[in-house]
Amino acid sequence: MSRTRQLIDALRDQMGGSAPLPPPPPLPRVAEPPARVYPRRAEEKSAYAREASAHTTALLGIGHVGTRYATDVVLQFQAELAVAHEAVGQELPDDWAGKSGLISLQSRVQSHREFLLRPDLGRRLSDDSLGVLRTAVRRGVDVQPILADGLSAVACMQSGLELLAEFTKACEARGLSVGTPMCAKFARVWLEDEIGYEVQAKVAAILLGERPGLGTGDGLSAYLVYAPAIGKTDGDRNMMSNIHARGTVPKVAGDRLAVLSKAMIDQRTSGVALDLSHLTAELGEAAGRHHRAPQERVRLVEVQS
Amino acid sequence: MILEPLPPKILSVRRIPNADPALLRAYGADPARHRSLGLVTVDQDDPTYVALDEATKHAPVDVVFARSFYAGSAHGSGPISGEILGVLAATDPDEIDEGLAALIRCLEHDARFYAADATRTTAVFPHVITALGHYLSAQAGLAPGEPMAYLVAPPMEATIGLDAALKAADVRAVKIFPPPTETNFAASWLTGSLEACEAAAVAFAEAVVKVAAEPKGRYL
Repeated sequence: MSRTRQLIDALRDQMGGSAPLPPPPPLPRVAEPPARVYPRRAEEKSAYAREASAHTTALLGIGHVGTRYATDVVLQFQAELAVAHEAVGQELPDDWAGKSGLISLQSRVQSHREFLLRPDLGRRLSDDSLGVLRTAVRRGVDVQPILADGLSAVACMQSGLELLAEFTKACEARGLSVGTPMCAKFARVWLEDEIGYEVQAKVAAILLGERPGLGTGDGLSAYLVYAPAIGKTDGDRNMMSNIHARGTVPKVAGDRLAVLSKAMIDQRTSGVALDLSHLTAELGEAAGRHHRAPQERVRLVEVQS
Repeated sequence: MILEPLPPKILSVRRIPNADPALLRAYGADPARHRSLGLVTVDQDDPTYVALDEATKHAPVDVVFARSFYAGSAHGSGPISGEILGVLAATDPDEIDEGLAALIRCLEHDARFYAADATRTTAVFPHVITALGHYLSAQAGLAPGEPMAYLVAPPMEATIGLDAALKAADVRAVKIFPPPTETNFAASWLTGSLEACEAAAVAFAEAVVKVAAEPKGRYL
């Protein structure tokens, strides 16, 4: 009932209002929430939505209630977004590299906040790290692997060491010499150019946590460049993404990255110019420039509805 | 019978699902954000301002246009002109429907003038908004969700009533509209705690009733 009417009714009684007031109009019945959600369950997806979602990990055919998303979709989205936020917010502990038996390097970035705001500083080594690099590591190697935190320290700590070990093993099996294992903190992809140049490696390979997406906070990417030097562009790089338990597993990724390194050294180039057409057997879909096979979306978190 | 409710009459309610951009611009809407309009005319303007504000609390709609007509509903240009034209704008006709439903609910059940004398010729609007929506809060320069007393009466009654309201509780005047307004009434917006707004509205109504009963005081 109207609050103002209650107040005025009381005032009227107090001022000696005589005849009773007409009763207030009855309140309307509140409409029921929409009974139907479209589609009600995943299996009710239209044939078109099912077909389309088989070709992508994007969210397709998730239905709607009126003009809005269904509640379970929103909750799932928020849960997956939280995983991504948390992964971006994580910082690699200073002593993690040392404990893991890696040479510890750091870019020119001083703090985690600066790392997120200044990509340019994340692409250059700090003076201390340059000193370490010039004295304590093997030089003139074929392949210099660099583990790094990138945008997901979680991924780096979770499967970084395994990928590094698999990659090193696979390179050595192909007769390539591998540089001293190292780990860079606050690193962006282009940091491999300076490191690779300093150690005079033929191929620099940075393995770093990739920008977390919905529900994938634990993915690693690898970027390889031949004849690393400051000034190399992304056109000079080959990369592999989605290296995690639900995507390309570290064992397979390590093998493929070694094949890529070998091809770079054989052809003395990398990036767009690199010809991988004869390597489809070893590299699988990574060699082709064609449509990638449908990948099923596996959720990292699952909200119970 | 004093303080009897005088329910507003909704004279017309219409919706334009996909309004022309020129029309949208002319009525203060933004064609980049708004596509649909909801229009309403009512024979009481102040309850409609309150009801338009209420609509912004129930649906993602904006009040882009709300103007009172000169000299009030007794002098309307047509049978459904009433005293005010209010316009809601939204991205979607469904949002307009939802906003209009809230607006009509408010007009039918909450916001209304009350008779200040036995002959029902003096009208008073001592309304308490418990939580402001986006429209009136922006007009008043308050935050959405704050309480506000919306007080309207004819010139003499409103002036005496406003003084009584300001002295009755710990409220401050956000805006005072001295006469003549378009409809020749006088109005004021007060804010404070909800209890203070309620006490101010009651004091306002009481003062208006007393002035209506004894317009010349002890002088004549």
